[in-house]
Amino acid sequence: MAKYLNDPMNKWPDGSIKMIPSIRIALMSIKLVMRTKAALFFTFFFPLIFLFVYAGIFAHGNPQAVVYMFGPVVTLNIMGSGFFGLGLQSVMQRERGSLRRYRLAPLGPGSMVFSSLLANYLLELPTIAMLVTCAMLFFHMPLKINPLALLVLVTVGTFAFAGFGLTIASIANTMQEAQVYNNVVWFALLFLSGVTVPLPVLPDWIQGFAAFLPATYLVSTFQAIMVNGQSLFDHKAEMMVLVISGTFGFLFAWKLFRWEKEEKISNRAKLVSIAFIVPFLAMGVWMNKYGNLRATWKETYSLMSQGPFSHGQHESAVNGILLNDFENSDESELVLKTWQVSTDANAAGRALGELEVISPGSDGTEHALRFQGHDESTAGFDRGYVAARYPFPLPAGVPNLRGVQFDVQGDTRLFQVTLTPQDSSLPAPTLTLIPNSAWQTVRLPAAWLATLPASPPGNKLVLEFRAGGPPGDFTLDIDEIRLY
Amino acid sequence: MANNSNSAVVHVEDLRKRYGDIEALRGITFEIKAGEVFGLLGPNGAGKTTTIEILEGLRRADGGKVTVCGMDPGREQTALKQRIGAQLQATVLPDKIRVREALALFASFYHEPASIDLLMERFGLTEKREAFFENLSGGQKQRLALALSMVNNPELVLLDEPTVGLDAQVRRDIYDLIERFREEHRTTLLTTHYIEEAERLCDRVAIIDHGLVIALGTPRELVLHSGKGTRIEVSLAKPVSPDRLKQLDSVLDCVETDGRYVLHAQPAAPAIASLVRLLEAEENILLDLHIAQPTLEDVFVEVTGRRMQDE
Repeated sequence: MAKYLNDPMNKWPDGSIKMIPSIRIALMSIKLVMRTKAALFFTFFFPLIFLFVYAGIFAHGNPQAVVYMFGPVVTLNIMGSGFFGLGLQSVMQRERGSLRRYRLAPLGPGSMVFSSLLANYLLELPTIAMLVTCAMLFFHMPLKINPLALLVLVTVGTFAFAGFGLTIASIANTMQEAQVYNNVVWFALLFLSGVTVPLPVLPDWIQGFAAFLPATYLVSTFQAIMVNGQSLFDHKAEMMVLVISGTFGFLFAWKLFRWEKEEKISNRAKLVSIAFIVPFLAMGVWMNKYGNLRATWKETYSLMSQGPFSHGQHESAVNGILLNDFENSDESELVLKTWQVSTDANAAGRALGELEVISPGSDGTEHALRFQGHDESTAGFDRGYVAARYPFPLPAGVPNLRGVQFDVQGDTRLFQVTLTPQDSSLPAPTLTLIPNSAWQTVRLPAAWLATLPASPPGNKLVLEFRAGGPPGDFTLDIDEIRLY
Repeated sequence: MANNSNSAVVHVEDLRKRYGDIEALRGITFEIKAGEVFGLLGPNGAGKTTTIEILEGLRRADGGKVTVCGMDPGREQTALKQRIGAQLQATVLPDKIRVREALALFASFYHEPASIDLLMERFGLTEKREAFFENLSGGQKQRLALALSMVNNPELVLLDEPTVGLDAQVRRDIYDLIERFREEHRTTLLTTHYIEEAERLCDRVAIIDHGLVIALGTPRELVLHSGKGTRIEVSLAKPVSPDRLKQLDSVLDCVETDGRYVLHAQPAAPAIASLVRLLEAEENILLDLHIAQPTLEDVFVEVTGRRMQDE
């Protein structure tokens, strides 16, 4: 490529740079996508809908869950572009007869297949960038992955699923046939590989089957890196399988490429192309026998439901503005006066709560605040509740605040945390969590914090921890409340 | 064009091709000389497109020998495609590609591309340079297809039914463009089932039917050697026996239809002179006279016993 860009002999008389035909065709394909409203929508905006559904509805806007959901969203997008953007498009071009004109030019099947792959990849990159940006901007998703690792993961994933799409396009003789093949594979990958339903909640035998599916490896690698903090190198076997499959797909597409719809593929060639799934079969058998996939999936899922910043991992947890760490025992009474316990009128007498300073606190500190009680009211947050409230003023002179952060541990009951501003026109961000007996750091983003005037005259905020879940006793320990 | 007029740019010998049970080509032989506009004339299904696609390297022959620009199209496709230009019966491009972009894209595939601006000017596409393919009329699409066949300034142009499906006016526009190929001495092979097209555009024509060349020569040679002769149609004041008219000089046959007499004569002049003498002798009067040269259609009918458009 560098030769083409640097060698003056590779310029046309008008000075424009000569490019290899595949790149020319790929760039033209991208231009055509930009001019077609439907293609533009499905390439760039449709994936964002998935992000907002996954992050906004499934993850309730909780950044820790958004991190977990991000892998499935990206995988879904990569799969979609491979199957529908590349696979069906290839068949459609052949059926429409637009490949015939290229056939008259001095181009081979390799140029055509490579140009499709390249265009698909180049369209994928800005889509992923938009997904990352939106996830960080709207859902405060921490990007716990090296951008280079993300690029490698996206590249390998796109290559693998492009191989899928191209293989299907190669063996399908008609558009209808391609749609049938696509749907069979698409739905299997969609529901059985963790793209839509987290694998740990599925039956054991389905988890065993999931080990045979390529989407599983892409999703689980994303989650292992972004939630567990593992490195890409820890998943080299998965990456290798995806690369091998992509290569198989590319080679089949090259070998079986057809310029015209009248050219039909033989059943023998279809059988040969089944070799495409050999790497996944081998990987599935090996992983089921020797791998520790299920434990990894469970661990990742468990971390997601606990929080994205397990204690000691998140450096910024020690930064920000400390609001309350309950360490000064002289202030214990003052602390208890500042905090308020309230119950809903409907739940009077049936919901009780109390606060006490306990020892030890989180991360080796001396103290923390315990909010415990009993709630016999109807389950849920809206009908009968007991809550601990912490009103505090916004400190002066601290720019660019983005939310509130705290450490919690509990008894695996459901709690809802809300940050309510004095200005009722502003939204009150809410987070639902089920803390277990290990301390964890949780962030509650509030983008409007950066725009609030500092006190005095001041803006008062209220951080509320509300007990939910089934009737019974509850305990929630709170420590290290900070603005970040 | 640096063609040597004596050399054959296309050499086809005993070309054979079979699709399953159907024998599409049954041993076709012809040559195209440098600078010549050569036509393959025949009804649908005669084997024209198969022949042209073998020459383009798109299909492999089952038998026979083919060289195009000195190369074997089956083995040296990529090198050959650098030197030939081709136009399909129906060219389909992406809907949203602009005329200028399509020409620039396809020109970029060749070592020695032609000037895009000159091509657009020559094929009357300058005003449509920014138009999307989907917004072009049928004639404009065909002009673009012809321009695409010229993006590499080819030694040989292969045109497959360049005017099929177009109305008469657009067809004539396309004829003007193709006639420029001959003025440039650019070797051209075109397939057609339009008699008018072959007669007007081609230096030589091979009439092809059921996978065989049934006649080959210049349109004039084919007509002159046709046994049919010139068609002379007359109306007379008093009836005459057709047998009597058959005995006139150089008349080959005569039939009467609705009081009109249709004679075929070879050559025509002696027949007309002897007809005038007969009418004077019998004090008959010539009411109407219509003379028509035989066409390639007549040649086809004569050779095959069928009309070309009946296929």
